[in-house]
Amino acid sequence: MLTLLFSCHLLAQGLDPATIANPPADSWPSYHGDYSGRRHSPLTQITPQNVRSLTLAWAFQTGQPAALKSSPLLVNGILYFTVPDNVWAVDARSGHQIWHYTYPPNKGLHIGHRGVAMYKGWLYFTTPDAHLISLDAKNGKVRWNIQIADVEKGYWSTMSPLVVRDHVIVGVSGDFDNLPGYLRSIDPETGKTQWQWDATPPIITKNTTSGGMTWMTGTYDPELNLVYWGTGNPTPVLNGKTRPGDNPYTCSIVALNADTGKLAWAFSASPHDTHDWDAVETPVLVDADFGGQPRKMLMQTSRNGYFFILDRTNGKSLLTLPYGPVNWTLGVDGQGRPVPNPEKEPAPDGRIIAPDEGGLTNYRSPSFDPKTGLFIVSAHPSWSIYFAKPADGAYGWAGADYGVWSKGVIEAIDYRTGKIRWTHDVGKDIFAGVLTTDSGLTFTGDIAGNVLALDTSDGKTLWHAGTSERMDTSPITYELDKRQYVVTGTGGVIFAWALPESEQ
Amino acid sequence: MPHSRVSSSGFRFSRFRFNDFKFIGFKFRIIVPVSLALLAGCAFVTAQTEPVKTASPSAVVERGKSLFGQNCAFCHGREGFGGESGPNLIDSDLVASDVRGNKIGPVVRNGRRETGMPAFKLSLQEITALSAFLHAQKQKADSHPGGRRGVSAADLQTGNVEAGKEYFNGAGTCSSCHSPTGDLAGVATRYRGLELERRMLYPRFAKATVTVTTPSGQTLSGQLSYQDEFTIGMTDESGWYQSWPADSIKYTIHAPAEAHAELLPKYTDDDVHNLMAYLQTLR
Repeated sequence: MLTLLFSCHLLAQGLDPATIANPPADSWPSYHGDYSGRRHSPLTQITPQNVRSLTLAWAFQTGQPAALKSSPLLVNGILYFTVPDNVWAVDARSGHQIWHYTYPPNKGLHIGHRGVAMYKGWLYFTTPDAHLISLDAKNGKVRWNIQIADVEKGYWSTMSPLVVRDHVIVGVSGDFDNLPGYLRSIDPETGKTQWQWDATPPIITKNTTSGGMTWMTGTYDPELNLVYWGTGNPTPVLNGKTRPGDNPYTCSIVALNADTGKLAWAFSASPHDTHDWDAVETPVLVDADFGGQPRKMLMQTSRNGYFFILDRTNGKSLLTLPYGPVNWTLGVDGQGRPVPNPEKEPAPDGRIIAPDEGGLTNYRSPSFDPKTGLFIVSAHPSWSIYFAKPADGAYGWAGADYGVWSKGVIEAIDYRTGKIRWTHDVGKDIFAGVLTTDSGLTFTGDIAGNVLALDTSDGKTLWHAGTSERMDTSPITYELDKRQYVVTGTGGVIFAWALPESEQ
Repeated sequence: MPHSRVSSSGFRFSRFRFNDFKFIGFKFRIIVPVSLALLAGCAFVTAQTEPVKTASPSAVVERGKSLFGQNCAFCHGREGFGGESGPNLIDSDLVASDVRGNKIGPVVRNGRRETGMPAFKLSLQEITALSAFLHAQKQKADSHPGGRRGVSAADLQTGNVEAGKEYFNGAGTCSSCHSPTGDLAGVATRYRGLELERRMLYPRFAKATVTVTTPSGQTLSGQLSYQDEFTIGMTDESGWYQSWPADSIKYTIHAPAEAHAELLPKYTDDDVHNLMAYLQTLR
């Protein structure tokens, strides 16, 4: 009995939040893998030379019609991943299910789910009806359930929370109604609110904007104690007439004090947006030289078609350049912000616009490879037509838009110049995220359902495997028992790829 | 707001269930674990039966509204008038021709891969409810035409016919492929309003053809049915599908419609409106 208790103590499992900043090779403890959002791994077992032998280690079938759009967490040999209303705990060595939690049928949009967050022995799961559930990571039992936004007003939630020390930071979604967006920090033990930051005024008055949803996971700089977050579009979405001006803090990148939620700075990626171009894409944190001096940078390939580099200590622009076709601006202002062309606001007879409403990229993760200085993003060069007329009103969507043409392409942007070093076509569209590794590999997918391993230096294909469903997830990697795994989700199946055991 | 063209994983179920073998050519190119997933999906679906319940018409509409909100609203808008990437359903031919879900059902359960619409695993009862909701919305819209949203043909009449004709024959280079008395004769009768404009900008359903020279030196031509970096799939005249590793053959793809994509960066909004004005005279 004594021995049993002792061994239980030794085996007590959970995640010390301090390890999220420097995750060991046998873990992927947060949505982006670490706080930087680079989605880059130091692992080197799988190389450009041996990747052609990559094979299936195991596959896990969710049996659900919903597509996987989540990044799994890996903690203590267990993977945790989601689709709306569902969480699985799966053995990362074998792919067998440990437990499966289902949330009861509920209102709210079941559009997708990005995954859970973990703190000590607890998981944090957002729901379509905008609740936050704390689950026991051992068995998937509900510990508590709190409301983070009111589904009856039109909010929902899909995001994977960000854990910073004893803060669980959660965001909200909602575009069908003129609602304020906000970010909230929750006590991981009690579920009580610690702070809230409002992207737009909580009470909407004449000539002010609503919106600024916080629907993707941010990043964190422990040294500056700043959390970096992207905010979504203003509402009404396509009609900007009732909300003159830049509409702060919608379509913005913001830096907040992790303990208080106080705004340190904000950068408007799309002032006065009228095309639904959220600036929620990963704010990637990179420490490197820029223009001949060492910099603490923040990089984002934004949905509006621009690649931004900011000094993340103060939010000042270092570089702003388009990374694909854009036709909606009059140029870039002195602060590095695109200047919207009023002629390209949606109109009754239509305006031809690049990119389309899905944007030049979207929630899928990019990756930064420190060795080559390449920022690799799956891009969506595209054209569309945008309409808005008085009959569309000034509430919610308030217009209509239609995609005309698009293609999918993996692009490697040299951060030093903003120039595109190589491109790799992946079909007529793209939804797959990107992972890079220190051995010089880039993992992603194409629109046909092939999982791809590319050479990071030139974008050439080194390995592929067909899965028949397109990838809506961003790959992760980890090492267990000295074997490196790359995990991808396509359709309703998680695939774990590894070298044959004889070749390791 | 998240991207709307949600995944098509539900196809797994629906393709088998409805024997839609349109994509059979590449479906079986997949590796073994996915085949297992397909079979598992099959077994999962067949277990689905529902007790027959009677519900009041308004309760059915309410249930349809709730289902629409959970599954469809992101793309088609909460009221069904169109949203992120999804078309207006309320004035669609599909809803107009539907009777208690007979037309809507197959689209919902199979999805439309070519437009990015995913498949949804909904029961007959749920489809009926969705259909009831959409018909109620249509009835509401038809009885209050003034408040109707979306793009109507009347919105697309701001262009100048003469300027459009000049663009067609000049800068637009349209006349190098098209003729108002040939392929485009009566085009404005076949397509109207937004549909005409979208097809004009890029005919997204246009088929490409491929000519393949096989390793043995045989030359074959047919419709390009599948293409990725690794595989070329072709359907020949008799309807048979065949495929090759892309690096084992020589092939030429003939996709004249792609010329439309090259024009997109060149158009001004006036060019688009003027071209529309001209095309609408081709009745």
